[in-house]
Amino acid sequence: MKNKPAAKTRHVVAWINKAEWDQVLDYLYSKDAALQNYALQRISAWKGRFGHNTPVAVESTADLVRCQVLDSSGQLDSDDLVLLYGMALVRFVNLITERRQGRVAKPLRRLAGNMNIPEWIVNLRHDITHRRLPTLKWCRKGCAFVLQWLQQEYWSRQLGSRLSEDWDSESEEEEDEETWARRREEDLLTQQKETENHKKARELLISYEKERFQMYEEWLKRGSPHGAWLEPSADLSWNLKQIKLFATESREIFTDTLVQDGFLIPTQEQLESLDIDPTGCYDPLRPCVPRVFLQFWLPLLKGLNRVTFIRRVLEKLFAELSAEPDPHRSFYLSAWISEVVLCNSKSLFKVKKKSQMMELFVNRMQLGWQQLLTTCLNSPCAATPYLLQLLLKDMDEPPPPDTQEKLLRLSSIYTQGEYHDTHGQPDPSKHVYTLQNLKEKLRRDGNSAHGLGPGLSLSYRSASSAQSLPTEDLQEKLSASVLEQRQAALRGSPWQVCTDKVPWKFYPLGKVPGQSEDPSCLMVETYSTVTVFDQQVELDKTPQHHLNPSIHSQNRAGSDGQLWSLAELNKLKSGLKLF
Amino acid sequence: MKAQKVSSQPKRTLRNGNKRAKNSKWHGHNKSFHADAPASASYEHQIASSGQPSLKPLKRQYAKAVSARTVSSLLPAGQKCKRLATHTHSNGQAVSVSSSCDSETEDSRGWRAYAQSVLQNGMQTNADAEESLPSEHLGEDIQPFLTQFDHVNNRTLMVMRPGQTLCFRGKCLLTCLYGRVEVLGFTIEEGQQPYPLYSPSSHCPLTITALADSSLSTKNRKEGRQEAKMVVRKYLSSVPRKHLLNEMDSDSCAILLEALDNPLTRFLTSQSQLKELFCLSSRELRADSAVDNSALSAVGVTALNSSGSPGLMTSRSYRDALHRLVRVWGDDDCDRCPVILVYGARNSGKSTFVRHLINSLLNHTTSVEYMECDVGQTEFTPPGCLSLSAVTEPLLGPPFTHQQEPRHMVYYGQADCQSDLDRYLDSLKSLWRHSSGDMPVIINTMGWVRGLGFQLLVDLVRFFSVTHVVQLSFGETSQCPALTPEFLRTAHGWQTHPPAPSALGQAELQEAPNSHVFLSIHSEFPGAGTSGEMRHQRSNELRDLSLMGYFSQMQSPDSSLVRPLHCFTPYQVSVSSVAIGVTHCEVAPSHILYAANASLVGLCCLDENVAGRGGPMLLSQTPICPCVGLGVLRGVDMVRGLYLLVTPVPPALLRRVNCLLLGEISLPKALLTTQSGVDGDLPYVTTDYSFELTGAGKLHVFKGLARPGFVKAK
Repeated sequence: MKNKPAAKTRHVVAWINKAEWDQVLDYLYSKDAALQNYALQRISAWKGRFGHNTPVAVESTADLVRCQVLDSSGQLDSDDLVLLYGMALVRFVNLITERRQGRVAKPLRRLAGNMNIPEWIVNLRHDITHRRLPTLKWCRKGCAFVLQWLQQEYWSRQLGSRLSEDWDSESEEEEDEETWARRREEDLLTQQKETENHKKARELLISYEKERFQMYEEWLKRGSPHGAWLEPSADLSWNLKQIKLFATESREIFTDTLVQDGFLIPTQEQLESLDIDPTGCYDPLRPCVPRVFLQFWLPLLKGLNRVTFIRRVLEKLFAELSAEPDPHRSFYLSAWISEVVLCNSKSLFKVKKKSQMMELFVNRMQLGWQQLLTTCLNSPCAATPYLLQLLLKDMDEPPPPDTQEKLLRLSSIYTQGEYHDTHGQPDPSKHVYTLQNLKEKLRRDGNSAHGLGPGLSLSYRSASSAQSLPTEDLQEKLSASVLEQRQAALRGSPWQVCTDKVPWKFYPLGKVPGQSEDPSCLMVETYSTVTVFDQQVELDKTPQHHLNPSIHSQNRAGSDGQLWSLAELNKLKSGLKLF
Repeated sequence: MKAQKVSSQPKRTLRNGNKRAKNSKWHGHNKSFHADAPASASYEHQIASSGQPSLKPLKRQYAKAVSARTVSSLLPAGQKCKRLATHTHSNGQAVSVSSSCDSETEDSRGWRAYAQSVLQNGMQTNADAEESLPSEHLGEDIQPFLTQFDHVNNRTLMVMRPGQTLCFRGKCLLTCLYGRVEVLGFTIEEGQQPYPLYSPSSHCPLTITALADSSLSTKNRKEGRQEAKMVVRKYLSSVPRKHLLNEMDSDSCAILLEALDNPLTRFLTSQSQLKELFCLSSRELRADSAVDNSALSAVGVTALNSSGSPGLMTSRSYRDALHRLVRVWGDDDCDRCPVILVYGARNSGKSTFVRHLINSLLNHTTSVEYMECDVGQTEFTPPGCLSLSAVTEPLLGPPFTHQQEPRHMVYYGQADCQSDLDRYLDSLKSLWRHSSGDMPVIINTMGWVRGLGFQLLVDLVRFFSVTHVVQLSFGETSQCPALTPEFLRTAHGWQTHPPAPSALGQAELQEAPNSHVFLSIHSEFPGAGTSGEMRHQRSNELRDLSLMGYFSQMQSPDSSLVRPLHCFTPYQVSVSSVAIGVTHCEVAPSHILYAANASLVGLCCLDENVAGRGGPMLLSQTPICPCVGLGVLRGVDMVRGLYLLVTPVPPALLRRVNCLLLGEISLPKALLTTQSGVDGDLPYVTTDYSFELTGAGKLHVFKGLARPGFVKAK
């Protein structure tokens, strides 16, 4: 939740807009009983909307303001008022501290202290619940203080801040402070460890690079004899051993570092010092690693030649690809993927041909083809069709040829590259994937069957126009017959289908054309009250064959002497009062 | 009922015919029954359309509705009538009745035999899932699914060996082509209509079980196999089918699965937070329980292996109770229709049991009555409604997938009944008056089984003169007392009281014939009694799903476009011609529209005439009145004094509505926060509300707050 402050959560609230909130806040703290009353009435409507989700602060404020309003009316004795104030204050202290409670009850005093509620308020609460009732003066004082506290802590800070938290998830947020602190400490520790490991990985790799570069220089000096700089020196062997040890301990971190710029992804500087012309073999559609650079890293890759490691490297390379790096980076990433896959390819092992890669792998590895295929498709780049081809060719259980073809075609459409059909002439009539295909197909169809042509192109045109304006359809349009049917069904009743020409799709729920932004726009001036005669439900009217006669007698006996239950009687009484 | 399900046109006449048949079963013990002409015509239509050899049924020893009919033309007239009368109760399958049908008792014996066979089937498969050794488990898993995807028609044919199960997540349309399969107690047989199955991650996954056909004799095996292969050939004409044909045997089942895409699924999955609703739950993903099968996933079905989800786990007591209740229905000795009340604490498996029971009963009868007493987790209606429904279709998914118009409904307006127990009970009583009394009634209750909640249960048992009380419990201790007849003799309800001992003689007490049967089920599935914590499993999320399911009925069935609620053409009504009231709190009258605007309203019908002279009509108290459905008050036109309302309720019902009730049930938040394409800010929606401030959240109740002293003592 806190990781993504950018995506603000939308919350449903009871006020139609900020203006309504502001108005209620103004009126609540206006010290004018009439305005306060208005605000209280509005809050009664808010409670209707919120139901049991009413914010505690809103409810407490309303209760306390109600006390003040009744107090100022001068119609109640001080004893009445103490009771009213008392309940409002007790509820405030209890409810506001409730969320701070953990599994074990904590003293209110401490909880309140953490929230800047002074001790005397808590004592007032204790007096009201357990001891002698406080005087009206104390109650008024307490009420005034709490209202001020609520204004400071809740009302004035609400709806202005950038903080957002999910309504339902908040309960999970609350933890013991202790556990929170402990977790923080643990987090810090692991974080520290990680940074240290990263540092170590970098150091190891840099020393490897230095070693290799030295070897390369020497090799150049000796007039580049064939293959010699591939033989690891003593220093390099020691370095490789270190790397091996480290890589088995923290493989993740090692591979993470390896694919960073300056290692498997060469910097411009590195390329220059290795005499590599960066444009030499640069073909983003069929990437491959420059030979010298490949040889530069070969001892390391050979040294770490293990299925888990190679798999991890591949995964990492793909993952980096999916992060949409710059062209240089994505070229080298895909180049390394293709090299690894090529070196492991079936054909290579079958032919046993000495490749330039010089047998990176002694045995062919099982690289988890299905998963590789998925990750490959998940990280599209310019070279994806090429990589895909390599993978498909090499799979032990390749998907059926037509699936392969579809995959390749779709991926090349996605990467906007040309798809070169391996089976010679592409047959666009078979599969229609793009608008271009469709146009071609229609043109062809139109040529072959003249009668069909116009109709098809017409439907095609309408389809494309629907696509370009997808929102046009969003508004429901009732056909004349449906409208007539509905009107007919409603005729004679107060109900009608709204036939005003209103673009409803622009009006969200709760808004109608012409509605003002004024928060008082929904006030009702005149209203009448409907009294419903209480429909007394008696089960005697139930279908006779359902009721066992003996049940009847039991029911009768049950209410024996008391034909009406107490509740029913109360209801009758209250009903009678209405007349 | 088979014919009814296949051809829609002669439906009414046929249903009447069935009803008559059933009535004769319950009243007056059928002596004769004449199938009316339209009905028999429809059978022929059915046979013709199924395109199967008309003599086929003779090869099969178990009688089916259609086969019975085909046979009947060859039988003497008297026996023919007999058969028709018998089998119309079933949904057209496997009543393992003997070929002679000469007496009443023979029939009822058949029923019992059927119940037995269902039970055995159930026990077999459940035993596999529950008690078998791990090695057998593995064996079952290794058994591959025989499937073939048909690219041309976009459907998958699957061959299942008897006893084989497919536990899955997803949704599909299932047609049985050969043999019969069972889904949550309901048997689907060849020739029946396609049934939609929904198995979302919010609920226990569904399991399709192939049933064994025990009645087939050996001499028919070969013909059976030929016939089965014919079916496969017919449905897979253009794709490889050899591997299916090789495995197809006379006792195999062949089912056709098609992708399911309807307004409901489109509407649900268009919501961003529900995109994965029909995918695996997080626990299943963690357990890696998906079985790779491209033919199944092509139609939206992901098979599960038993490591992640064993499907429905039924205990012995569960199966016994189900068996007994199904048998009651076949019992001719019973002089009145069973009224079954199911109760138990929250998450004890009530709803699943009720669905299972309804499905099992629908194997025998055309219709079951369902009484909803659980306002929070409703089965057929949006939450907050109490209702009485007639169920004619099996329940092959969670509640939000089968929202349907109940026969009678009352809007209570809250997700629990605690605030007004009397209105709750009186609403239920008013619904009960509409109970027809000639079909079995199933009553589902709330999970509130302590204190007053339990007293309400006592009332319900008394009010509805229940014949069978089923208690579901879990764990070591039972959550509440057993509602046995003895217990009821002294128990106090909220509205009812036990008879005074003096009023009835001792002898009378002894032979009190009203006593019901008490059945106890001990739930043994993992997680019994604990509420679901995964996505879409919390009760408020399930309520939102129900509401979404309800409002998805407004979506057009033809267009794949999903319309947000605000895009629909509203209905309008003058504010002075419908009353408005709030069920759950007091709202100042002049501010009533602030509560009503953009809210969910119950559309109710008062007996009184409501007509005022301008201005809203406010109810002084909450009435108990029929409700035809829910709507959203999409706005109020203050100038013209009009309520503007969008609702899936058909206009013919809407015309009766003269009262709008506001409740605590609110629109799913997503429907308000994601209204695309509107001008300006969304009303009632803000991104600036901070929950980090003190007091910003709702009232929070710690239920098990321990006192410091108590903890130390422990």
